[in-house]
This record gives sequence, structure tokens and C-alpha cells, in this order.
Amino acid sequence: MSKSILVTRPDHDLITKYFYAWSQEIIDIAKNKNVVVFDLKGKKSNKKEFMSYVNKRCPSIVFLNGHGSATIFTGYENQTLIDSNTVLKNSIIYARSCEVGQKLGLNLIENGAKTFIGYNRKFFCGYTPEKITKPLEDKIASLFLEPSNLVVSTLLKNNKAGEAYNRSKQQMYKNFRKMVSSTATFEEKYSARWLWSNLTSQVLFGNPLATL
Amino acid sequence: MNNKIENSIQDIISDPELNEQLKKLVLERVGAMPDSLGMSIGSKEFTKKDALRHVEQGDDTGKQIMEMELEFIRGLASGAVYSYE
Repeated sequence: MSKSILVTRPDHDLITKYFYAWSQEIIDIAKNKNVVVFDLKGKKSNKKEFMSYVNKRCPSIVFLNGHGSATIFTGYENQTLIDSNTVLKNSIIYARSCEVGQKLGLNLIENGAKTFIGYNRKFFCGYTPEKITKPLEDKIASLFLEPSNLVVSTLLKNNKAGEAYNRSKQQMYKNFRKMVSSTATFEEKYSARWLWSNLTSQVLFGNPLATL
Repeated sequence: MNNKIENSIQDIISDPELNEQLKKLVLERVGAMPDSLGMSIGSKEFTKKDALRHVEQGDDTGKQIMEMELEFIRGLASGAVYSYE
């Protein structure tokens, strides 16, 4: 079976618009690596489409962008896409959302997923109000979203899930140190505390040796 | 170790006296947030004014901000932020 990635990227509020824009880099990398991309963008991030791709295509990587809690992950307009009964068999999952790493991530492993990477607390993201129509030009948001993208880009380069998890955390810490340095802007210095929260709440469940 | 820290934060927030002290500290810290910066927590986004209001009211969002601030202060105090591995 060919390697594939399923991406959910709704765009119904500010932070999902940011996630949507920043996910494009991952889609481009996947295409360059000849990984088949199933792109559930905007309204297509709904349960019917999601489960259809999961059941028929069995994606190697599931890259989730949206909102979450300890027990559910949601798509467009906050419709539930995943709950504790969802089966994502043999997939490596990365959830860029709040709190899915508290409980739901473990449920997905129990239900047959290879590896889950996500956050066990709220996902914080700083942004520049003047840049909200151009998320890719937002230098503050990039400090949060570049290390997050690194989880999936590292996987797409045939590295192990544990390596993807570690590289992302290392990049978060590198950014954090830059943000608290004397050369940082006031906005970078202030928002460093939010990145620290993401760094200390990123978790991995399941097999750290799993690869694409 | 994380569980111990999280339980301890919950203990502080559920103690009225400690919670009030923490709230005062967090209000000062949030008050230093630049106006040119936005904060997103999950599906909600905040300006400094919004964040101050949530902390003052002590609602769920305010508690999340207080937890985040306390954890960061602890990281500073313990030196963890300078030697993270």
C-alpha cells in the first residue's frame, strides 16, 4: 500500500485559519516525497468525509488540526470527528489541538493506532493582530507553529515517531531561548511563557519507533 | 513529576487565600502583556484586556491563564527553563 497522509484543516475561526495556512507546508513536503495526500480542508473536515478516508484509505499519518478536549477532537464548526470509539488502525497521529493528549490519544492507541503525539493541556499560540489576514507572515505565530510542523515534516522524511517528537521539542526550546534572549522583541519575550506551556505539555503515546 | 506539579497547582487554585494571592500576581503579569500581541487558547483569542477580565472573574479561561503563569514561574524558579532536556 502506498504511503499516505490525511490532513484535517478547518478554517472557521482565527486559530484554525492559522493552522490551515501553516499546514500547507506539510502538504507540499508530502507531495514532494510522493506521499499521497488526503486534504480535508475547510468544510470537508467533517465526520463523514473523515471516516470515509480513514476506512477506505487507511492513512499512514493522520495530521489533525482543530480543537480538542480530553475526550473528543473536532473539525469544521466544531463538529466531533474523533471520540474514544474511533479506530485509526496502524496510523501515526499528530493532533495540533488542545488536550487530546490527556485521554483521547491513549484511547486511539488502545484502538490500534501506532503512535499518538499531541498536547495534554491547552495549546497556546501567540499572534500579531495586524497579521491575521496573512498568517504565514506572522513572525510571532511562526515561533509556535514551525516547531509544531516539525513533528509531521520529520515523519515525512522517514524518521521514527520518537525522533519527530524530540525534534519538535528541541525546536520549541531553541525558539524559547531565542525569545527570552536580550535580542528578542518585547512581544517575543512576553509570549515565551506560552511556548513553554506547549513544550511541557507535548506527549507521545504508543510506539516511538514507528515510521511512515 | 508532572502529576505532582499539576496537583499542586490545583491545590493552590482551590485554596481561597492562595488563589487570591496567585490571582494578584497573575493580574500584574498579564498587565505587562504588550497591546501589540494576541493570545490564542484553544478556540478563543484574547487581547490583554480580555485576559485581565478572565483572570479577574476567575472563570475557566482565567484559571487556565493562572495555571500557565504558575507553571512558568516555577520553571523559572527551579531553573528548568534554563536547562531543559
